[in-house]
Amino acid sequence: MKVFVIDVARCNGCYGCQLACKDEHVGNDWMPYAKPQPDTGHFWMKLLEKTHGQVPKVKLEYTPYPCMHCDDAPCLEKSDAFYKREDGLVILDPVKAEGQKDLVEACPYGTVYWNEELNIAQKCTGCAHLIEEGHLPRCVDFCATGALRFGEEEEFAEEIARAEVMKPELGTRPRVYYLNLPKLFLGGEVWDPDIDEIIEGAKLTLTGTDGFQMVTESDDFGDFWFRKLNAGSYTLKVEAEGYQPVIKEGINVDKSLNIGDIPLTKIK
Amino acid sequence: MGDSKIQTYIKGLGFCGFGAGANTAEVDVKDGKVLRIRPMRYDKKYTKEELNAWKLEAKGKTFHVPMKSQIPPLSLVYKKRVYSPNRILYPMKREDWDPNGERNPQNRGKSKFVRITWDEATDIIASEIRRIEKEYGLNSILVQGDGHGETKIIHASHGCAMNLFDILGGCTYQTRQPDSWEGWYWGAKHMWGCDPVGQGDIGNMLHGIANYTKMLLMWGCDMETTTWGWGGQLASNYCFWLTELGIKQVYICPDVNYGNAVHADKWIPVYPNTDSALQLAIMYTWLQEDTYDKDFIATHTVGFDIFKDYVLGKEDGIPKTPKWAEPICGVPSRTIKALARKWAKEATTIAHCNGGSYIRSTYSHEPARLEVACLAMQGLGKPGRNQFKFIEWGTYGLPSANPAPRPLGRTFIDKAFRGFHFHPLESFIPKTLVPKAILGDYTEDNPLTWYGYTLAGMPREDQFIQYQYPVPGSKEIHMIWTDTPCWTTCWNGGNSMIEALRSEKIETVIAQHPWLENDCLMADILLPINTKFEEEDIGNDMYSGCFNLVMHEEQCIEPLGESVSDYEAVGLVAKKLGVYEEYTQGKSIEDWIKIGFECTDAKNFISYDKFKENKYFAIPIAEGWEDDPIGFEEFYKDPEKHPLNSPTGKIEFYSEELATHFPDDKERGPYPKFIPYGESHQESRLHPRSEKYPYLIVSNHPRWRVHANLDDVSWLREIPTCKVTGPDGYQYEPVWINPKDAAKLGVKDGDVVKIYNDRGWVLGGVLVTERIMPEVILQDHGARIDPIEPGISDRSGANNLICPTNTTSKNAAGEVTSGYLVNVEKVDVFELAKQYPEAFKRQYEKGIGVSQKNRFKL
Repeated sequence: MKVFVIDVARCNGCYGCQLACKDEHVGNDWMPYAKPQPDTGHFWMKLLEKTHGQVPKVKLEYTPYPCMHCDDAPCLEKSDAFYKREDGLVILDPVKAEGQKDLVEACPYGTVYWNEELNIAQKCTGCAHLIEEGHLPRCVDFCATGALRFGEEEEFAEEIARAEVMKPELGTRPRVYYLNLPKLFLGGEVWDPDIDEIIEGAKLTLTGTDGFQMVTESDDFGDFWFRKLNAGSYTLKVEAEGYQPVIKEGINVDKSLNIGDIPLTKIK
Repeated sequence: MGDSKIQTYIKGLGFCGFGAGANTAEVDVKDGKVLRIRPMRYDKKYTKEELNAWKLEAKGKTFHVPMKSQIPPLSLVYKKRVYSPNRILYPMKREDWDPNGERNPQNRGKSKFVRITWDEATDIIASEIRRIEKEYGLNSILVQGDGHGETKIIHASHGCAMNLFDILGGCTYQTRQPDSWEGWYWGAKHMWGCDPVGQGDIGNMLHGIANYTKMLLMWGCDMETTTWGWGGQLASNYCFWLTELGIKQVYICPDVNYGNAVHADKWIPVYPNTDSALQLAIMYTWLQEDTYDKDFIATHTVGFDIFKDYVLGKEDGIPKTPKWAEPICGVPSRTIKALARKWAKEATTIAHCNGGSYIRSTYSHEPARLEVACLAMQGLGKPGRNQFKFIEWGTYGLPSANPAPRPLGRTFIDKAFRGFHFHPLESFIPKTLVPKAILGDYTEDNPLTWYGYTLAGMPREDQFIQYQYPVPGSKEIHMIWTDTPCWTTCWNGGNSMIEALRSEKIETVIAQHPWLENDCLMADILLPINTKFEEEDIGNDMYSGCFNLVMHEEQCIEPLGESVSDYEAVGLVAKKLGVYEEYTQGKSIEDWIKIGFECTDAKNFISYDKFKENKYFAIPIAEGWEDDPIGFEEFYKDPEKHPLNSPTGKIEFYSEELATHFPDDKERGPYPKFIPYGESHQESRLHPRSEKYPYLIVSNHPRWRVHANLDDVSWLREIPTCKVTGPDGYQYEPVWINPKDAAKLGVKDGDVVKIYNDRGWVLGGVLVTERIMPEVILQDHGARIDPIEPGISDRSGANNLICPTNTTSKNAAGEVTSGYLVNVEKVDVFELAKQYPEAFKRQYEKGIGVSQKNRFKL
């Protein structure tokens, strides 16, 4: 049984996966698995991008997002135009999909697209036509950094054990596994305005309302980062030897946040 | 792939041109059409053992050379370029240009083109050449034959016409300065030599950085973007590995560029082209805290004391303290001190990747020289302390330019390369001065003068020689032949070039190109050129860093329409002029391929027949490469035995040469300074002009193009950072605006703004983003021009049209194409459409851009 393993931490945002899909499918007919994809507007493999934080603490996250090839796929329930192959790939039969615009709604992940010109619903085939010849899906074949991998489930047992899936609450059992899915961050800087110097080694304690606690130290730029946070309300305590501690309460982290410069005052 | 009807070819899909290839790909062809493009596997025909596949080892971790070519997405989508609706498929003539009557130069860029035959086109060109020769002399023909784009050897994209004019007896040719690394050429060379490029020795540094460097300063550098054109994605993989090794990557730049976005451990935002102030404050900190390498200064440098006095303020009364630098460069003084201390303490290397405001803004020689000063003060060449560059690995075939494990030979195919040649001609114009030369009234007695041949790769001494246009005995330019029709969107002040191309003086403009874009709009005759998929050629891959390859690039598909290669197009004119035999030297394509193969080191390993059977050869990696010197290691260890190629062999804080040759130059003095503005430029926030134009614009090498290449690829245009669709459906070039400025300007995502200064205006589609620091905007360069009023305004966002026309500084003929002053203002595109109905009614093809149908009557 095949799986995709996507390590988001290795994705450099080049969009090669999205483009390789187009190179393979736009204008090319791969029946019985797929009719040609329209030139634009379809993203059978879509790269999602999001900018996190504020100047000067800004990061981008890129997430490759194909059909999840779920084992308990809602689409399979909804219409017999979808079928599951023995190797686990979910295919949308181009013949049966004709005229059925509502199939676009069959996928809770939004990975089914409508082709106006051909009057059919379409989606990622996992490049089944290539898999059968022993090749990789084009998105995986292209990926230069190894962020995208594809193969037998058993070969990826170690990765799958620490992986996440998209929308696990749906219970769809996707065959696309994600490593290092980004979360939110909280960052800032600690400094002493009296002497105009950064403070290295300040202790920063972040406490969530649910009792979650994380401790870090400011680095040699005075910077600190709390990464992989869940959304929520937090309290930040800043302590440095010889300085009055600072406590910031009610920090609402609903997106990644640069809390800015935190000036500390020496204990007189 | 497995389908028997599919033929697979190997093609180099790099965009460097100049016969220097990269981005090797496999191309599948079915039923005469390109089916797909994908990475090639180096071990397709040779085992890893035969290749001596390299690996790097550091801190118990290993980095293996990828066995799959690391092509960028720009190569992957190249099929779209081959079949672009924007291809020129037939010879065309501007309808109101009559070589025997009224030429209507004022209508260039406005009037339409009609189809003619190859026979007509070559007749006209041949007779125009003879007419110009008779009336004015051959030096009145300007040949623009340099540039990036498809990398072909025999069918070379650029400069084939130079070979024709060599036979005819000369021409004036456009010399292309080092447009992506100006500051190193015009500045750093005067401190540390390092001819021909002016950048540091990066030999064996993939190994060196991994093992010895603790902090990598990515200074004005986007290693995820500029690498794509010629190099691919090995650099990306390498930076992920550096992160695993715990090597800190600090980005110093105004923007969260694409490398910063994924690899940075820290971002230090700095206002564009104020790096000099930051550098001086760092050095001030070292001097104050006595944390620089005094022994190295004593043994490896000259002229330090006078420079030191300048830093401390003894010369001009201004100590270059971090507090002084803070408001200039936008970096808090505490951060400057922290950076200076970390740099002094930890082995630090500075990395670059061409382009951007750091190295191609006003006075770019100053940050370049100040960087050399910084490197010198911390002991250049000490383990982990060097200068690095993520692109052009192996350029000019120099070992000092190759940071990867050393291959056992070269793959440069110079003997078969039929394009641009590097030998100087008597009559030439630096590319940066072409509009000025045409628009001025210059004669041999009242000539335009400048210093240096300016061609990238010329030695330092050349910068002290004065040249002129027209040369004695010659007249002005009256005809232009370009195979590089992207001056307007790539060089310094394109609006002035549009004006020059529409000048009465220019009687004839010939352009040969595969696509109708940019300067082509201003041509009188257009010759249809094909892509490399349509021709057989020999190719190489010398920049990817993985393996050096020679490949037989077979013809994949039939030429589209009546297109021919650049080499063939010039050949057709040569036939009409009766010099075809001289032009081809009586050699067939097959002959040239063989000559090409024989001039590479592949011949030491494999026979020509076997090479053709296997379609490629990858030069094996040398044994013992690990012991090759790293960067400036040898100079560091023994400066007497391994001197630099500066006049003294040492790093010259004070250049006697500059002092002697340019004693009155206030913009590039004998030692580097902070020069915010001067005689040539007033593009600084410190200058009163900034009240009118308060924003500095960052214009990087584009993410989704290679300069002007690839602007018509619909698949790229769907990417959110590639184009912004305006309310009128037109895909505008994005402008990054910080949320703070967006609030001030009253703009939101998807709005259209006008970016303007006294040189004109261009439009852009707003992206409100934290990826750009406040008071700075960013718009990549190279959009395909779509003039509203030719020479004044443009819809596509080709911001080079409004960048400074003056060169780097008074005596340095480089370009200034990033980090200049503009203002920004929201516009109503529907109001503009009423005001400029002709421009805004142009037929538009979604995903492609403005349609060829507006210009061609087929």
